[in-house]
Amino acid sequence: MRAAFSDTLVRLAKADPNVLLLTGDHGYALFDDFRRECPAQYINAGIAEQNMVGMAAGLARTGFRPFVYGLSAFIPVRVLEQIKLDIAHDHLPVILIGDGAGFVYSHLGTSHQSTEDMACTRAIPDLSVYSPADRFEVSACMALAYQTKVPVYLRMGKSDRGDVHTHDLSQVKAGQLLQVKAGQAGAISLIATGALVRTALDIAQASYPEASVWSAPFIKPMDSQQVITICAQSRAVMVLEEHSVLGGLGSVITEIASEFAPVRILRVGVQDRFSQHCGTYEYLLKEHGLDRPAVEQRIRDFLIAN
Amino acid sequence: MTDLPATPTRTTMASFDARALRKTVLDMAFAGSTVHIGCAFSIIELLAVLYRSHLRYPGNDPQATDRDYLVLSKGHGVMAQYACMRELGWLKDEAFSGYFADGSDLKGLSDSRIPGLEVTSGSLGHGFSVGLGMAMGAKLRGTDQKTYALVGDGEINEGPIWEGALFAAHHELKNFIVIVDENGFQAMGRTQDVLRLGAIQSKFESFGFEARTIDGHDEAAIDHAIEQLWASSSTAPKALIAKTVKGKGVPFMEHNNIWHYTRLNQETYAQALAAVAGSAS
Repeated sequence: MRAAFSDTLVRLAKADPNVLLLTGDHGYALFDDFRRECPAQYINAGIAEQNMVGMAAGLARTGFRPFVYGLSAFIPVRVLEQIKLDIAHDHLPVILIGDGAGFVYSHLGTSHQSTEDMACTRAIPDLSVYSPADRFEVSACMALAYQTKVPVYLRMGKSDRGDVHTHDLSQVKAGQLLQVKAGQAGAISLIATGALVRTALDIAQASYPEASVWSAPFIKPMDSQQVITICAQSRAVMVLEEHSVLGGLGSVITEIASEFAPVRILRVGVQDRFSQHCGTYEYLLKEHGLDRPAVEQRIRDFLIAN
Repeated sequence: MTDLPATPTRTTMASFDARALRKTVLDMAFAGSTVHIGCAFSIIELLAVLYRSHLRYPGNDPQATDRDYLVLSKGHGVMAQYACMRELGWLKDEAFSGYFADGSDLKGLSDSRIPGLEVTSGSLGHGFSVGLGMAMGAKLRGTDQKTYALVGDGEINEGPIWEGALFAAHHELKNFIVIVDENGFQAMGRTQDVLRLGAIQSKFESFGFEARTIDGHDEAAIDHAIEQLWASSSTAPKALIAKTVKGKGVPFMEHNNIWHYTRLNQETYAQALAAVAGSAS
């Protein structure tokens, strides 16, 4: 996924000299190619994210196309007001990249973990929020963000959990849910985003062959009609995300369904608490009940109760 | 990277008389029953000199692609900028007559949706960084557009100012001037008492700026200092520290921080108008 990110960024920058990459002193090896191929378009703004995001707005005002890179614990959370006032308020085409979303920095603790970024950003007017699941979605999301010329926050989660798609997604539209497993009407549906799309797919393939599985690379905008259709055709909907259950994808789906297509919805995500311990990524998923066995158990319990 | 003209030309013939600008501010503040009069009065002469003698807006177009940039980072002073924009013809009298009424476009703090205002400020410490981005953009494009960021002395409590100061010096943004409106007050009192700033000029110099301190109400001094800073052969960004008086022009407002918050009534409005009319420009 990170290779796809780097490749896409280099491709866009080589095609358009207005593309700039700003980093808050992060992404060392990730930007080797970019620095080699497009050195004049690379700005390390230092460990100074507030100034960096404000400058990105100024650069966009003069016609540049800034990509602003940081860890998702900092971009967007530390600079939320700069995103709101300097960028989103004026619809400036700045693409904010938050890397290492969720529990990717599992050993480092709370400061580097990020499970509130989608909730924070989706409440900002005119800001789009993308959450790709694999390298195909990363490339498609970046290309779409560049083409649409709107402010975008793109969250990148765990990069090594495997693809959920098998082919290029260049025709994808903003807001579209992507089916990664076909199912039957009247069965359950699983909707997931980011790293947990892989988990949803694995669970469905193993235990719920009649279930449909959808990836949601777009948290905002969201194709409400598609959500309504999925909910209306499902016995129950399971929403999976490596993000707080407060304000993320589960909230988006639930908000739409409650108004237009009421259905039982299980929100599988991070409960309202910080990590207690450190460890591997897999350990942190387990601590928060987001590892595959825990998610399977929650789905079973939910279906028994409903 | 683009074919922008290298040297925009000035076209405005407006006078930017300080007394007239202050009267416009008083009329707005009284009609709209608004605050921040003191914040606007301290920067009247700074804005008058910038618009009269330095800022280039080809075709008198506030959105000309090759304009210079004036970023009012201290958005609380926006009434002073509205007054200048009226002189330029960018804001019509109709916009002023309904100021602060329901549906008014002119807000109490700077809003970039008004052509001529570059940023949405009021939350402090933002405009400086956006201005740096504009200056960096001009440098990358190789144009000679200049960027002015007007900040308050209280505003430079904010961290992004100093993040940006590091960046501006490191990247030798010689096309950038930060103008500090040093009126000695912030919202809750004297800067000396709230969060002591010390010597602002030497602070910016220590960050790598070329800096000067002047009387921020002496238009000739302002003009001369800006000329000299631009004439410098240094690649350093510039800082102009303008010693000003909050509420300048109306004796009962000067150095009286209550005029950060207080609204005019009929009596104080009449007194202020008389004071402004009698003051030297």
